[in-house]
Amino acid sequence: MKPALNRQLPSWTHLRLAAALCVGVSALAMLPEGASAQDSTLVIARDIDINSLDPSRAWCDTCQIYMSNVYETLIGLDKDNKTLKPRLATKWEANADQSKFTFTLDPGAKFADGTPVEAKDVKWSMERLENIKGGASYMMDSVKSIDAKDAHTVVVTLSGPNSEFLNILTAPYTGVVNSKVASANGAIAAPGADTADKAESWFMQHSAGSGAYELVDYKPGEELRFKANPHYDRTKVGVADIVIKQTKDSVTQAQQLESGNVDVAMQIDPDTAKTIQADTVSVETIPSYNFLYVALSPGAKDGGKLLTKEVREAIGLALDYDGIIDFTVGGAGRKIASPIPNGFPGTDGLTLPQQNLEKAKELMKKAGHAEGFELNDAFPNMNVYGVDMSLLNQKIQQDLAKINIKVKLTPIEFSVWRDRVKSEGIALTTLFFAPDYYGSAQYVQYFGMIEGSPWWNRAGGKRDASFTNPQTETVLTKALSASEAQKDGIYKQLAQQMIDDRIIIPVVSPDLVLAHGKNITGVRYSACCNLMMDEIGRQ
Amino acid sequence: MTRYILRRLISIPLLLLGIVSIAFFISHTTQGDPLISIIGDRQMDNPDAVAAAKARWGLDKGLPEQYVIYLKNLVTGDLGTSFRTKQPVARDLLVRLPATLELVIAAMLVGSIAGIVLGVIAARFRDTMIDHIARLAALMGSSTPVFWSGLILLYIFSVVLGWLPGPGRFDARAVAPETVTGFLTIDSLLAGDFTAFGQAIYHLLLPAAVLGWTVMGIVSRLVRASMLDVLSQDYIVAARARGAGELRVLLNHALRNALVPTLTILGFTFAYLITGAVLTETIFAWPGIGSYAVDATRNLDYPAIIGVTIIGGSAFLISNLLTDIAYAFADPRIRLS
Repeated sequence: MKPALNRQLPSWTHLRLAAALCVGVSALAMLPEGASAQDSTLVIARDIDINSLDPSRAWCDTCQIYMSNVYETLIGLDKDNKTLKPRLATKWEANADQSKFTFTLDPGAKFADGTPVEAKDVKWSMERLENIKGGASYMMDSVKSIDAKDAHTVVVTLSGPNSEFLNILTAPYTGVVNSKVASANGAIAAPGADTADKAESWFMQHSAGSGAYELVDYKPGEELRFKANPHYDRTKVGVADIVIKQTKDSVTQAQQLESGNVDVAMQIDPDTAKTIQADTVSVETIPSYNFLYVALSPGAKDGGKLLTKEVREAIGLALDYDGIIDFTVGGAGRKIASPIPNGFPGTDGLTLPQQNLEKAKELMKKAGHAEGFELNDAFPNMNVYGVDMSLLNQKIQQDLAKINIKVKLTPIEFSVWRDRVKSEGIALTTLFFAPDYYGSAQYVQYFGMIEGSPWWNRAGGKRDASFTNPQTETVLTKALSASEAQKDGIYKQLAQQMIDDRIIIPVVSPDLVLAHGKNITGVRYSACCNLMMDEIGRQ
Repeated sequence: MTRYILRRLISIPLLLLGIVSIAFFISHTTQGDPLISIIGDRQMDNPDAVAAAKARWGLDKGLPEQYVIYLKNLVTGDLGTSFRTKQPVARDLLVRLPATLELVIAAMLVGSIAGIVLGVIAARFRDTMIDHIARLAALMGSSTPVFWSGLILLYIFSVVLGWLPGPGRFDARAVAPETVTGFLTIDSLLAGDFTAFGQAIYHLLLPAAVLGWTVMGIVSRLVRASMLDVLSQDYIVAARARGAGELRVLLNHALRNALVPTLTILGFTFAYLITGAVLTETIFAWPGIGSYAVDATRNLDYPAIIGVTIIGGSAFLISNLLTDIAYAFADPRIRLS
């Protein structure tokens, strides 16, 4: 006979059970019923990748959003993502060769503490950006001097012509800081600021800008909280309180959006977007300026020598671009002709790449590699713009096998990848790029085979000067002093040169998914600034 | 026993020194460059920017010199500044530790209570349908990956049913109570804000259940095995012969003795979860030590990596000591020397 468990229960046990029941019922009674809190706060789901909130040290996608909305630049970028529009500067003019720019500031612009934005703040901010030597300091490389002529006039003199300087000034990293407040908290703009400046810790919890929002609180790994700047009147801010909430992956972001816990989800990939069914959610897929590319480094120590120009061209022809788009982003992406994204100056009329295995095999034969060879492919093991880099490289491996190149895949951490690509080079790798502003020179300066450019270094330019394309530097100099009417044609030449170099082979420009509650308005993609929060509203 | 405890306490700093030294040299000699997360990929090709960043973070010095500086600072309680958060690591850990402790304590409570109850019932009803169901629940708990169970339960209870909230410690639209202890449940009670307390519990339920399920799986199997062993002992037969009630036999006579081996597992599980709740913290956007460790590792944030190692190492050493002491109390036959 099995004894009954409830036999001989002592009275104190009854009391304990009763007490536990009371506690449980009380706790249940206190559970909130859904959204009992302040519904006015707009919640944005995003994988927060902040490296710094110091305007002169910040360099990341979330930093771009933060900077755009907390600090104002002199010039803004209109909704067409091409036209420059006044922001802190109400007007500007350039000299004939575009080496000297005069800006007139908005006399009504005020920082969040109510003090006016003056020319001295612009000068201080630009000098600090340059002297801190942080992630975006290269944007000030061409600046020779900055003069505050009066409280509302700034003159910037460059070391040479730069027709893209105004575009650079739309980049959020060039935002203007309240110099008095920042200096009081340890910020330094003078040369030597890279080691003497002590303000970064302060900037991680405070802001000193004139943008639509100011920082309320930053909890790393948790949230970034904003409130509207009471002194901002350039536009009417739609939502007073915004929080960017750490939400790691695309699936969770979609779930949170569907359940109404968040209002906007920023990194939903196209495949996940297709699974969203809630009729309270709006999903729009739009082209982006971001892209992923294959990079071939003939100067790399691990097999770079095999990558002659013919072999590089064969690799470009062996790739199944349409298949890559289907395989990696479920068809929600675009082909891209050159390392300058579609829609930027110089890209109209370029021929989009197409797989041609016959020609690729012919080139391999001509190069003496009809039987193929083995090639190492080390790539950062991450998910970028909705593309799983492992999947992308598996597809590349399949495609190159068709011309007898046996690709050995090595997924590695980004920091390890960076170390390796700098020290010994990587023969075949894949990477990504997003624009810092609307303009094509940034791509030529980064990808072009110009002495000292990042990809000239990585391709092995220091080891073998023959990788340098002397024409690229000459044409770029011409582009930087060109008029608006001439720009397109000159950048097209540069784009073609980069295509012919076959060092960088763009493979996919993934579409961007704009996903938000149907009651949310004004969510759009900005080429310079990612997300302009002051345009967002709630119906 | 006092001498034993003192000896163990004295050995902890020495063991920690060894742990810190190993963590320091392994992290600093791992392939990869932490500067990429400080100045970004673009500036890595700018020698001026690289030199400036190295000088600022002390990475321009030789490894032995960096090690000596680190130890000197460590003695004063300075764990360095995180490359990523730009805040002192000690401060970061103090901010994040309560979040992890709150989650781990809740998970341990859920897991150990459920595990003990399930283990006792399974042993009592050995080889019956109840035992099989208990085994299935335990196996699922200990073998289901948290990243899967977490996402599935989140989808069911938050998205489909809407009964429980999404990731995070608190409703993003609400204002959290002022931080006193860092435990949201305690801070909301201290502030007298019962709505906030409800919110904190509400957000704690699912991650604690997911993490606790794993604990439950381990504990219930262990308790069952121990109970079966104990229930076959002569003193249990004697207790029953004296007419003791079944519940008294199970709880007072059998369970107390069966729990001794479970204490070891509970102690180590608690210590492990301090840094090991990584997946749960990631899925539920729980800003604790685990997610901090992941970020630190991905960015080669040396000071943060070593800081987390110190916390994890301390947790293991202390829990080990406490487990040994608890053993002595639970079983008078055990003498610590």
